Amino acid sequence: MTAADISCENVRKSFDRTDAVAEFSTVFQAGRTTALVGPSGCGKSTILRMIAGLDAPDAGLIRLGPETPKQVARRGGLSMAFQDPSLLPWRTVRSNIALGAELARKPAGGVDDLIHLVGLDGFADHRPAELSGGMRQRAAIARSLISEPEFLLLDEPFGAVDAITRRRLNQDLPPLWRRRKTTTILVTHSVEEAVLLSDRVIVLSPRPARILSDIQIDIEGLRTAAETNSAKFQALKSKVLAALEEAA
Amino acid sequence: MTVTRSLLGVVATILVWEAIARIQPNSVFFSGPSDVANYIIGHSGLLFRAAVETTGNAVIGFLWGNFVAFALACLVILIPRSEWVVSALALLVFCIPLIASGPILRVLFGPGSGPQITLAALAVYYTTFLSLVVGLRAISQNWTDLMTIYGRGRLSTLLIVRLRASLPYLFVGLQIAAPAAFLGAMIGEFTGAEKGLGVLTLRAMRGLQTDATWALALISASLAMLGYACVGLIKEKLTPHAPTILVSTPRGRSDHSFPAQVIGVAAIAALVFFLWQGSMDAFNLNPFFAKRPGDIWQFLSHPANMNTLLNALGATLAYAIPGYLAGLALGAGLAVVLMLWPPVARAIMPTAITLRAVPIITTAPLLVLAFGRGFTGTVAIVAVMIFFPTLVACLQGLRQTPTQIVDLFESYGVTRFKLLRSAQIPAMLPALFASARMAVPAALLAVTTAEWLATGRGIGVLMALTASTSDYNMLWSCVVLLCLVAVGAFAMVAWCEKRVLRIYASEQLA
Repeated sequence: MTAADISCENVRKSFDRTDAVAEFSTVFQAGRTTALVGPSGCGKSTILRMIAGLDAPDAGLIRLGPETPKQVARRGGLSMAFQDPSLLPWRTVRSNIALGAELARKPAGGVDDLIHLVGLDGFADHRPAELSGGMRQRAAIARSLISEPEFLLLDEPFGAVDAITRRRLNQDLPPLWRRRKTTTILVTHSVEEAVLLSDRVIVLSPRPARILSDIQIDIEGLRTAAETNSAKFQALKSKVLAALEEAA
Repeated sequence: MTVTRSLLGVVATILVWEAIARIQPNSVFFSGPSDVANYIIGHSGLLFRAAVETTGNAVIGFLWGNFVAFALACLVILIPRSEWVVSALALLVFCIPLIASGPILRVLFGPGSGPQITLAALAVYYTTFLSLVVGLRAISQNWTDLMTIYGRGRLSTLLIVRLRASLPYLFVGLQIAAPAAFLGAMIGEFTGAEKGLGVLTLRAMRGLQTDATWALALISASLAMLGYACVGLIKEKLTPHAPTILVSTPRGRSDHSFPAQVIGVAAIAALVFFLWQGSMDAFNLNPFFAKRPGDIWQFLSHPANMNTLLNALGATLAYAIPGYLAGLALGAGLAVVLMLWPPVARAIMPTAITLRAVPIITTAPLLVLAFGRGFTGTVAIVAVMIFFPTLVACLQGLRQTPTQIVDLFESYGVTRFKLLRSAQIPAMLPALFASARMAVPAALLAVTTAEWLATGRGIGVLMALTASTSDYNMLWSCVVLLCLVAVGAFAMVAWCEKRVLRIYASEQLA
């Protein structure tokens, strides 16, 4: 599997005459993780939905490698984790996770490894109604990973996850993405999470979304929770926070 | 505990019933339990064969009707553009009173069980279609997004997500459909079958055999309720958390301009004429009984024929409209009154839901016995037919008042009346209108059946007469006119609904 860029060129989108995204252009580099941060309602999720092919831009061009989002979707090269876990209530955790592979028409190998990775050992045969909100969210994250997508879109997927698990996921997931060379876009409200998980943070303006600042996160090697105490991490975090404050 | 109490209730009812019967021996309209039991024991073989016949037809019709409903609902989901045509045709067919299509089906099928099965199917498909469409649509957008992300289309979404998610809705529809299928089969038998409970009922009524009429009404209602209970059991097993559904038509094309709506209606009318003429030509049906649109037009252009028809319609509407309004008013009124005594409402709800499912037509002969063959009897049949569905829908509607609003009112310490008037009744209106719409065909069915069985006047009788004298032009004219009246009344209720809900429940029209 070779990694590919996601490119957005002059993308515009409005809903009922309200501009949500205006002239958004950037390239999300292949195999790297980019975080989108910005004030609530600034259009981050709209950008993600357009890249996923869920909404069509009013103008501009979105390409995943050489293909359109729909083309990538049709061959199962894309997956997304939503703010809401959206599990099918009649399927077990295992079967909900396997659904990701089933829909992408790929073999569902490694479900148990993923269940372990997201810390749901012992809950494989439970149904969503028997799980807490955070556990459901973790199952949804596992579902987005099972198909080994080239492009992974994460729309605030850690919102409902408890602090300790969130910390563990923040530590365990990036190495997986890097190993698989997944081109990942993460929408998040947490500045710390953005800096910890990504190689680059894009700060967006209030609606309509425009790029205010584009910050490279040049921390080498394995990132652990301990890293968050380092001076470099703190400096990067302050930089993103300052840009965000400017946006608001 | 509850079982003992129910048993005691049944025993008490039977004792009171017997006591009343003993007070009035040899009454022409009342039979006691012992008389009914004697009749059933004395004619058990006959009754059993009739029950098997009717139940068999009802079951086959139930399967066909629901199969068609299922196919139509899937079509609407897979090809959303087809929705308005499918919905309009489905509604149109639903609006034809069963008693009107009965004689025509009888001529088309000849003797045998064809009409009974078709009528049973016609009696069930619409409620199943509506609740299934609601159910297939009632999935979260995240699920459709999820399917889109993986490049899956409408078919995969239907198979993987929608069908399974719609099960609770499907079963709510199926449960109402079970007794309705029984009703359809019986009406098919009224219109000229050789075997079945409907045939025996007709014979008992015409021969003024009170014990037989009571026995048949009891058996028919019990069998219909047995169907309701069986589907209910399966529903409990498969989908324990059933949703509350106000059975209403899928959203109309309310966003279209007036000319667009006129064009839409004209297109549907043209399609109906085309299907009518085309299917008769395609199957090469004998023009002696299979009348085409042109025949009817020619027939009705004679003023004498038109007058006969309109007079009959006038007589029918004079009974149908008061019955319709009385049924709606009583249902909504009782729901509101019950709301003031919540414990009573809670206690009555299960009974009302069950009684809603009793095909009233099976007990129509008893109402005729009790209220006579005139105005009161007919209006009572129409009103009772509409009363229970309205009561249940309105109670559900009243309960759907948002709890925050109730809390808000209570925090100001307002009286229960004030809460009812300002918050709960407006919340009930969508449910009331939904049942008012569905009650239109029900009212026409009830009034024409009552005429057919008992009163001897109106369009129901005109159809019975013309069917037996082979005056097929008049028979078809009756059917067309009834259908037009039903569609017109349905549209009128829908128009009022839109006006009222725009003020009280704008979110329902969104």
